[in-house]
Amino acid sequence: MTRQLLGPALFLVFFTFYGIYAWQIPLLPFEQYEVVDSSTMPKLYAMAGALFSFLAIVSHIIKSKEPQGEQKPLGITKHTVRQTAIIMLLMVIYSALLDPLGFIVATLIFLISGFWVMGERRARIVLFASVPMVVFFWLLMTQLLDIYLAPGSIWS
Amino acid sequence: MFDAMMIGLDAAFQWHNLMYVVIGCLVGTFIGMLPGLGPITAIALMIPITYSIGPSSGMILMAGVYYGAIFGGSTSSILINAPGIAGTVASSFDGYPLAMKGQAGKALAIAAWASFTGGTIGAVMLMVAAPTLAEVSLSFHSGDYVMLMLVGLTAIAAFSSNGEFLKAMMMTVFGLALSTIGIDPSSGTERFTFGQPDLLDGLSFLLIAMATFALSEALMNVIKPDSAKDTSMGGNQLGSFKLSKDEVKEIAPSVGRSSILGFLIGVLPGAGATIASFMAYAAERNLAPARFKKEFGQGAKRGLAAPEAANNAACTGSFVPLLTLGIPGSGTTAIMLGALIAYGLQPGPLLMQENPDVFWSVIVSMYFGNVVLLILNLPLIPYLAKVLVLPKSLLTIFILFFSLIGVYLVSFNTFDLFMMIGFAFVAVVLRILQFPMAPLLLGFILGDMIERNFRRAMLISDGSFSFIWERPLTLSILIVAIVVLLVPLLGFVKNRRAKTTATPD
Repeated sequence: MTRQLLGPALFLVFFTFYGIYAWQIPLLPFEQYEVVDSSTMPKLYAMAGALFSFLAIVSHIIKSKEPQGEQKPLGITKHTVRQTAIIMLLMVIYSALLDPLGFIVATLIFLISGFWVMGERRARIVLFASVPMVVFFWLLMTQLLDIYLAPGSIWS
Repeated sequence: MFDAMMIGLDAAFQWHNLMYVVIGCLVGTFIGMLPGLGPITAIALMIPITYSIGPSSGMILMAGVYYGAIFGGSTSSILINAPGIAGTVASSFDGYPLAMKGQAGKALAIAAWASFTGGTIGAVMLMVAAPTLAEVSLSFHSGDYVMLMLVGLTAIAAFSSNGEFLKAMMMTVFGLALSTIGIDPSSGTERFTFGQPDLLDGLSFLLIAMATFALSEALMNVIKPDSAKDTSMGGNQLGSFKLSKDEVKEIAPSVGRSSILGFLIGVLPGAGATIASFMAYAAERNLAPARFKKEFGQGAKRGLAAPEAANNAACTGSFVPLLTLGIPGSGTTAIMLGALIAYGLQPGPLLMQENPDVFWSVIVSMYFGNVVLLILNLPLIPYLAKVLVLPKSLLTIFILFFSLIGVYLVSFNTFDLFMMIGFAFVAVVLRILQFPMAPLLLGFILGDMIERNFRRAMLISDGSFSFIWERPLTLSILIVAIVVLLVPLLGFVKNRRAKTTATPD
């Protein structure tokens, strides 16, 4: 499957499932007699989405019968995909640790490991860019703006 | 109206609001300069801050960030040939060649003066156009609004996606579909919540904006690094910033024409700064005398001034439908609409009457913002340009951190963070497959308004679709929406015919 076909195909699957759920939205008793109920718009969107995805697939099939130039390379390497995946994982871990470890510790872990994954190995720069930033942000939020930041449930 | 204007003037000139304009312009310039990050990201990152400072100040800050980001985008276009945003791509055609000739300072000065003039002319036109349109739109009914929103959604798809109309429409409907998650506000029915209490309130627009722009743009910089850019100019000497009398005379007519053209294009839903700047560039190239025409693409001063004036005027123009109809014409103004709604304000024709301080202070602050951009940013450019040589490794992680903590500070719910990361993943995949993001955001924000207005229109017309043809205005707007939908289709058919006749065997 080519890149151009993948997107519309994914959308067709999404809108099909969205449509199935749209037809199963449980209506409240008073809605039974209304022309526009809670499921009307979702049903319309599901049909419109499926129609546009279908048209995109058809137009791709029509276009693919014509002689095409070479597809432009994506400019993505295994290394950058791995790097992105690790960063996304770090984001998930950061989100999970925010409440238990608290803002300061969780953010320091996220920033330092993020810089490391991005290829920054100079310890001075890594520490200088993370520690003062986190302390400054924490002071700004909690002391100056009086905004609550998670102190960390495991410390209390 | 005069009294209301004075309220706005008073609000805009309070010291804290003046400070927000300055901060907005500086932050916008800083973020706009970073290649790959646009005004939507800049504004999205500001939203958590604006929640704590009130609607007038918040809107003033966001407007400052908006035109600051456009200005910053032109700086990176000129200095390193890496436009921060699509609206400044046309500026790099002649701006970068000028910089390569050792006239980077002059190019930046032209950009700053052209932006200032474009923004100021735009602000004057906004001041005239917005109240007039707001008064006219008071007579609009729910059905008219539904049709207007349809025009907005189809226009952004038709104009914004390089001929990939169907992709843009899929994204629009995807955004509309996402807006239906949560409790239906009219009936109280749960939709697509899958038993998750965190989904009962629906998805927050901040979460979607951050995921689809700030997070996914930063992640795209990691997965697809743009190594071809020449960052050497970021730290170098920029040369003189002075313009001679002859140079001013040469660019002045272009700036005037492009400002008016830019504003008018900006008012149209879906068009915006990118189309305005390209059209102004093309118009100036065609209008230029033969001796200047050859310079286009090689450092023509008119070629830089025209798109710069047009993109700033278009930014101001895009506020017209937002402030008067409550319908955003672009991704950036869609975010602002979301913020206004979050404040509990109802953008639209009544905004001018019910919240004159917000309506007028935003407009008045635009004058001040343009002055700030000129007198503060221009001298600071040599220092701000250093941001272009900052290590990307640090910047990317900081953007991710600010996006995550920004959403956390609003909801204090880690479930939102997980949702945001999930949506960012989807957005990255869609970006790789070259789907545009702005239609999704617009669809998401307009989804709820379309549903409410459609319900109301159907209720008033007693369950009949007659509201569509009963009023000529409603029908006319619907016809415009259909025409906008059909234009790309006709283009496709025409292309196919041309290809068939060109290759008869």
